[in-house]
Amino acid sequence: MRKKKNKRVIPGFGISLGVTLTMLGFMVIIPMAALIIYTSKMSFSEFVNVITGKRVLSAFYVSIITAFTASLINAVMGLIIAWVLVRYNFPGKRIMDGMIELPFALPTAVAGMALTYLTTDNGVIGSFFSKFGIHIAYTRIGITVALIFVGIPFVVRSVQPVLEKLDGSYEEAADVLGAKRMTIFFKIIFPELKPALFTGFGLAFGRCLGEYGSVVFIAGNKPYYTEIAPLVIMSRLQEFDYTAATSIALVMLVISFVILFINSMIQARNTRIVTGRQ
Amino acid sequence: MYVELKNINKTYGDYKASDNINFSIEKGKLIGLLGPSGSGKTTILRMIAGLETPDSGDIIIDGEIVNNIPASKRGIGFVFQNYALFRYMTVYDNIAFGLKVQKADKKYIDDKVNELMKLTALEGLGKRYPSQLSGGQRQRVAFARALAPNPHLLLLDEPFAAIDAKVRQELRSWLKEMIEKLGITSIFVTHDQDEAIEVADEIIITNKGRIEQKGSPVNVYQNPETSFVASFFGQPSTIDDYMSFHSFEDVSGIEKAIIRPEFVKVSKKDEVQRFKSSASEGVIESIAFRGANIELKIKVNDTHIIAKRGLDEKEVHVGEKVDIFIYRLFVTKGNEVRLLENKSLVDDSLVI
Amino acid sequence: MDGKRKESSLVKWLLIDISALFLGVMLLLPLGIVIWQSFKQGIAVYMKAVTDKYTVSAVLLTIEATVTAVIVNTVFGLFAAWCITKFKFKGKKLISTLIDIPVTVSPVIAGLMFMLLYGKQSALYPYLQKMHISVVFAVPGIIIATVFVTFPFISRELIPVLETHGTDEEEAAALMGAGGFTIFRKVTFPHIKWALLYGIVLCTARAMGEFGAVSILSGHLRGKTNTLPLHIEILFNEFQYVPAFAVSSILVAMAVMILVLRSVIEAVARR
Repeated sequence: MRKKKNKRVIPGFGISLGVTLTMLGFMVIIPMAALIIYTSKMSFSEFVNVITGKRVLSAFYVSIITAFTASLINAVMGLIIAWVLVRYNFPGKRIMDGMIELPFALPTAVAGMALTYLTTDNGVIGSFFSKFGIHIAYTRIGITVALIFVGIPFVVRSVQPVLEKLDGSYEEAADVLGAKRMTIFFKIIFPELKPALFTGFGLAFGRCLGEYGSVVFIAGNKPYYTEIAPLVIMSRLQEFDYTAATSIALVMLVISFVILFINSMIQARNTRIVTGRQ
Repeated sequence: MYVELKNINKTYGDYKASDNINFSIEKGKLIGLLGPSGSGKTTILRMIAGLETPDSGDIIIDGEIVNNIPASKRGIGFVFQNYALFRYMTVYDNIAFGLKVQKADKKYIDDKVNELMKLTALEGLGKRYPSQLSGGQRQRVAFARALAPNPHLLLLDEPFAAIDAKVRQELRSWLKEMIEKLGITSIFVTHDQDEAIEVADEIIITNKGRIEQKGSPVNVYQNPETSFVASFFGQPSTIDDYMSFHSFEDVSGIEKAIIRPEFVKVSKKDEVQRFKSSASEGVIESIAFRGANIELKIKVNDTHIIAKRGLDEKEVHVGEKVDIFIYRLFVTKGNEVRLLENKSLVDDSLVI
Repeated sequence: MDGKRKESSLVKWLLIDISALFLGVMLLLPLGIVIWQSFKQGIAVYMKAVTDKYTVSAVLLTIEATVTAVIVNTVFGLFAAWCITKFKFKGKKLISTLIDIPVTVSPVIAGLMFMLLYGKQSALYPYLQKMHISVVFAVPGIIIATVFVTFPFISRELIPVLETHGTDEEEAAALMGAGGFTIFRKVTFPHIKWALLYGIVLCTARAMGEFGAVSILSGHLRGKTNTLPLHIEILFNEFQYVPAFAVSSILVAMAVMILVLRSVIEAVARR
């Protein structure tokens, strides 16, 4: 039996795969490999030593707690904003809709700087809150504020399309059955939005954990208090302590891959439910 | 023979799409590849076109093995199932594309496109985009586009699947006429038995990657060579024990019997029935009006069979007891099939 | 129909006001303060800050990095999208996953990876030195980092569009003997032109604002390896608020332009 090569009708397979793999190789695979090779040269005890250091642990804690709080606030606000944008008509709606992506378009450093300037104790917002003894800039609250800015688009843009597609007949059916508005929202609409909400939350959380540009201005970078994990990596790099930097980076990578994995599981489950239902 | 397939095999992973396919087609014929979905008919068409490559075997077009000839050089016109019209080109540009690619003379292209638009009744639509056309018009554009480079062989993948039922009938006869007029050898794929019977000069029936039978529509319908073909056409009722009906030869080893509605005579109790002694009694379970006739589901001898009665015959009712006489039936053993005539008919003809 | 589903207008306006307040404080106020601060001491001071030679060199470097990122990622995006959506082959999933890695890792980690690859402790370093190429703390490092963080931006816009579009049209064109470039130009490109433009806009936005990864690889040599965001950081840390905000206003203007462009493209593409 002759074995023939499977010819492809559409041209360009070889060259497109070649270019793709070459560029992927140089931009992604080799740099990743550099990280892995460097890791493999480290001893395990070194690694453990670094990541269980008090300063590093507290940096992880600050990173996670601020990213989580910011994403939670964004989940609530994002849901409200998406709802407002889909369900209501009001003047300025299109501008509000277009504004949502500002955190993607505006360099994070600019945002961080502006937010810092606003929230120091003599800033426009900061001076108001400092009267009540609340300080924003150079505290964990400040970090959270910067992360809220960074994470705004994720939840809104995840929930919005689902809400748009949500069949109005569900609600009408419930309406006809005499359900109260609150009941309708929590029993009918919210369960539909939940997967998108989780996805948005996960994306925002992942992004916030790694965020550096906006936080570096507002954090003040006090060890044990407002030092986040990316900042520790940065300062270790400035001291040319690559082992420490790599160890911390590895932990962060693992965390972000776990988030990614959970997210894709939720999404897969959701697609199963949705397609199963139809 | 114009197109020949020799010992073609093709697998996708675990799925055997073509299992030792052999057949040949005469020049100028219109062939229907008929089979249920997943039977490998589209794979055959795509292999002939060169869109897929067989794992083994030879494809011969006009005496030449084309296995290593790229799709674009095989002189084939292909009409895709969803037409695959270029959505961002006008009707004119769609039809002209193949000729432009071949760098044909401008004047020639213009003449050819206009001629084809006239032939396919698309005059005046040249500047429209596919999205501005009806389903039937789109199909005609796809047809004209496939014909523009003067192919020797036209392949059509489910050409009527994307068209609503009303227009489909019209297009069938139009396509048949058109292909006959042009005299171009054509193969079309369909899962619709009526379509194949009506349009094709010859039908090739596929099942599970194999060819079951090839022949004229009448021949394939009347003389099925395999049990699959016997049960594929019409609305066959399959019964386990055909000997429960009277006057059939007892063939050993038979597994199933297949009865087509036209093999069944349903008579009311008060109607004259020539073969009363060979009839069985059944009860009508449901009645459906099918336009040209009435379709009955009848319970007889613990099985169900589908039968038909004309509109001019006396009305029957659900629950009514009727006499069932089976003229003939197919008996199957494995994939073998045999036609059995009711013996009382044979006896009868002897008497007369 | 809609009458039944009308919330009481109290709830409606409450929710709208909450949203507007939140977005106003979180998004508009920072924008406003940048503009306000940059012009606080008059046009002359603003112009001086913006035309400062270090600012100009930062603008030029930012443009250089952004343009390179857009070009490289467009080339990659087109080839990768073609390869992934037009053919079936083993390892496709793996490629898709690899493409997305740059947006899932923190920019700081991205910077670290290139540091490890091209920095002093790398096995490559002696060879780079021999060839007189410096990547780390030099312009090439900044460009590589910018390309990396925006790497999937264009392919991610193109792939879904091409996936829904299928391969029938390309197959039909190929059957008629059209070559790869003709198929791409005449058949495929019209389908993806808006997505491509959209991807370029997003890529530009991210490239000009990248901070973390670039910061690691830059070395902060004023006038040499400072991009706009890095320049802003230095000014701010030196308490030169007006210049810092003035330089920021350039980026704010770019961001607003990008948002407008984005909405326009979306509106046009939807039609």
